[in-house]
Amino acid sequence: MAHTRISSSLPPDIDPTKAPIAFGRRALPKLNEELQSPVLLTQQRALMALCDLVHDPEKVYQAVELGFLDNLKTLLRHHDSTIRQKTTEVLYIMAMHSVGRQGLIKNGVISALAELLDNPVDICRKNIHQTFEMMAKLPEGAVDILHAGLIPFLVLKLKSEPDEIQELILDTLSNCLRVEASEALANGAVTILKEKLTHSSVAIRSKAAWVLLEISTHLEGKTAICEEVTPVLVGLLEDADPEVQASATGALMFATVKPQGRFSALGAGAIPPLLKLVAEETSKARLSAIKTLTMLAEVPEGRKTLLGHTHTFQQCLNDPSEAVKRAAQIAIRVIQWKP
Amino acid sequence: MLPARDAEEAAAAAAALAVRYSYSSRPRALSARPKYRAPPDAAEPEKESVRYANLMYDRRVVRGNTYALQVIPACTHPDPLEIQRQRETRRRALARKRTKEQEQSRTPEPVEGREHVHVQTELYLEEISDWVIGVDTECQTDAFLDRPPTPLFIPAKTGKDVATQIEEGELFDFDIEVKPILEVLVGKTVEQALLEVMEEEELARLWAHQCAYAELRNAELAEVQRLEEQDRRYREEKERRKRQHKELLQKQKETTEKIAARAFAKRYLADLIPSVFNNLHESGFFYDPIERDIETEFLPWLMAEVEETLERKVLGRTMLDSLIRTVVEKRLDAFSSQPPFDQTEAPAEEPRPTDVEPQVAIETDADDQPVTEEKETDKLVAEAQRPRRISFMLHDSDQAGTEDLETE
Repeated sequence: MAHTRISSSLPPDIDPTKAPIAFGRRALPKLNEELQSPVLLTQQRALMALCDLVHDPEKVYQAVELGFLDNLKTLLRHHDSTIRQKTTEVLYIMAMHSVGRQGLIKNGVISALAELLDNPVDICRKNIHQTFEMMAKLPEGAVDILHAGLIPFLVLKLKSEPDEIQELILDTLSNCLRVEASEALANGAVTILKEKLTHSSVAIRSKAAWVLLEISTHLEGKTAICEEVTPVLVGLLEDADPEVQASATGALMFATVKPQGRFSALGAGAIPPLLKLVAEETSKARLSAIKTLTMLAEVPEGRKTLLGHTHTFQQCLNDPSEAVKRAAQIAIRVIQWKP
Repeated sequence: MLPARDAEEAAAAAAALAVRYSYSSRPRALSARPKYRAPPDAAEPEKESVRYANLMYDRRVVRGNTYALQVIPACTHPDPLEIQRQRETRRRALARKRTKEQEQSRTPEPVEGREHVHVQTELYLEEISDWVIGVDTECQTDAFLDRPPTPLFIPAKTGKDVATQIEEGELFDFDIEVKPILEVLVGKTVEQALLEVMEEEELARLWAHQCAYAELRNAELAEVQRLEEQDRRYREEKERRKRQHKELLQKQKETTEKIAARAFAKRYLADLIPSVFNNLHESGFFYDPIERDIETEFLPWLMAEVEETLERKVLGRTMLDSLIRTVVEKRLDAFSSQPPFDQTEAPAEEPRPTDVEPQVAIETDADDQPVTEEKETDKLVAEAQRPRRISFMLHDSDQAGTEDLETE
């Protein structure tokens, strides 16, 4: 019988691990069928080909329409680890597009992914966490993650996972906790995050401070943070990296809303570093620093100290950003208020 | 060796049937003797897997009938002289055998008078001799001639002859044709690369945008919360002040009420004491002890005594009544049966002295009593003087007496 292959040796540039892709619109349906075949090799090759195709948004849309996600969900429970890895990779790439994200939410893939959180293979878990991170950027995705009850797991994983996965988890948590923080607080997230604030890696410190920021936007979070974490955050204000400074200032901004927080921040000597941050023209943390100083100025001791520094705020009035100008005006008004 | 051994063993076996059979050399499977010797420079014969030879092909096994015994000399190392002699005898035996074979005729003996002659019967007679006619021939190549080159081998032509020719313009120009293919290839690759880079760039830009937005949002949120907090504080302060003020007012009101109540109470109580005292005085709580004493003790005793006296009087009267009654009844009886007059007077007089005696005794005690007693004695006398009008008069006097007593 005539074969398409002329010689027995393959042409030099073909990747033998990928399934051959059919032309045009037939590509994805054919891959769909191949994914369901009982032969392991066919499934693996189909998955590799799918990984490449999914970078194109149109293909993502088509895949979601064809109902690929159900197949992928089944494959997540496959016994072969290569297949699981590749499936999580495909899901991650799909989650990078908005269409894909919508499809993932609709098909409830998050709960299926949650089963694999304990997988021993590193890459698999990394892909899963990347997918969660992408999903958490959408508000519906964040709500989905909360409903799936993943927050306790994620908080626990913070302790055990390697660094890069920790960064991903912290990102996911920061997006989810923006919606609701009570579950995380119940699982002792504040203690764990406090440890992470003193971690050696810069990225982890800034992200941990960001998560604390999100926690402290809620009332119970503020209470939890005021007692223990404020001194550490004040310490981070003098950190070398601007990212860390920005996140720490943001977290302090919310923590000082409550009077307890204000007193503990003042007690930890937060005013000098904050003034330094405000004085820098290009600091990211400028806005947050101005706001934090505004909060602290509501306390009588803070007001006394800041009355001597109003010129710094006058300088801020020249900042190009509208928000900074407004914030500086409010700050000056609060400082000069007489009861 | 073997036949002797066998005989020995058989004898041994026959002799001792009951004794367990024992070998002088244990039977073992003999390995095959290798065909070729090991090379002389082999250090050690390698122990290969033992190849067991087939018994049938083993040269060491005795073949043929063993009935004729071949006696083997006892000593296996004969001296060389013996060996040589044996060899010579063997050679002579062989030679004798050969000559004998030759002389031995295989055909039957000639009949008498005849002779067997060897005759050649072939067509051509052959001279039979021992040595073969040999001819020497020599051959030699030309001196110092090189070997000529081998002629070119051209195989014979087979098959049909076919020719083809590429005309002008039939062949494709690779450079022109390859362009669209190259374009497609390069284009697709670049497109894919651009897609990937754009993806990452898009993501990075989205993330930066989100960060900026998040910052603004956080700042606004913080502002909102701060204002909320401020508002809450002011409200709380206001509440506190209001409460304080209310409490103050309340206290003031209470104080005025208290003062008013105090004044009123004071005024009310001002004439409470005299009125109380009056009431008490009126209800008799303040008393003169002697008066009280007299009232509480003396008077009851007096009353008791009076009662006793009266009782006695009453008793007396009743006795008198009963006396008079009996007298009257007796008189009646007497009148009906005419009884004497002096009997009535005597019993009437008897109770009189008994009455007078206790009265005289009592007189000594009280002050008031003599007055009443005198009255009583007068009455008794009056009564005694009117014995006839018994019942009515007694009753009247009794009533008068009691009335008098009551007025006292």
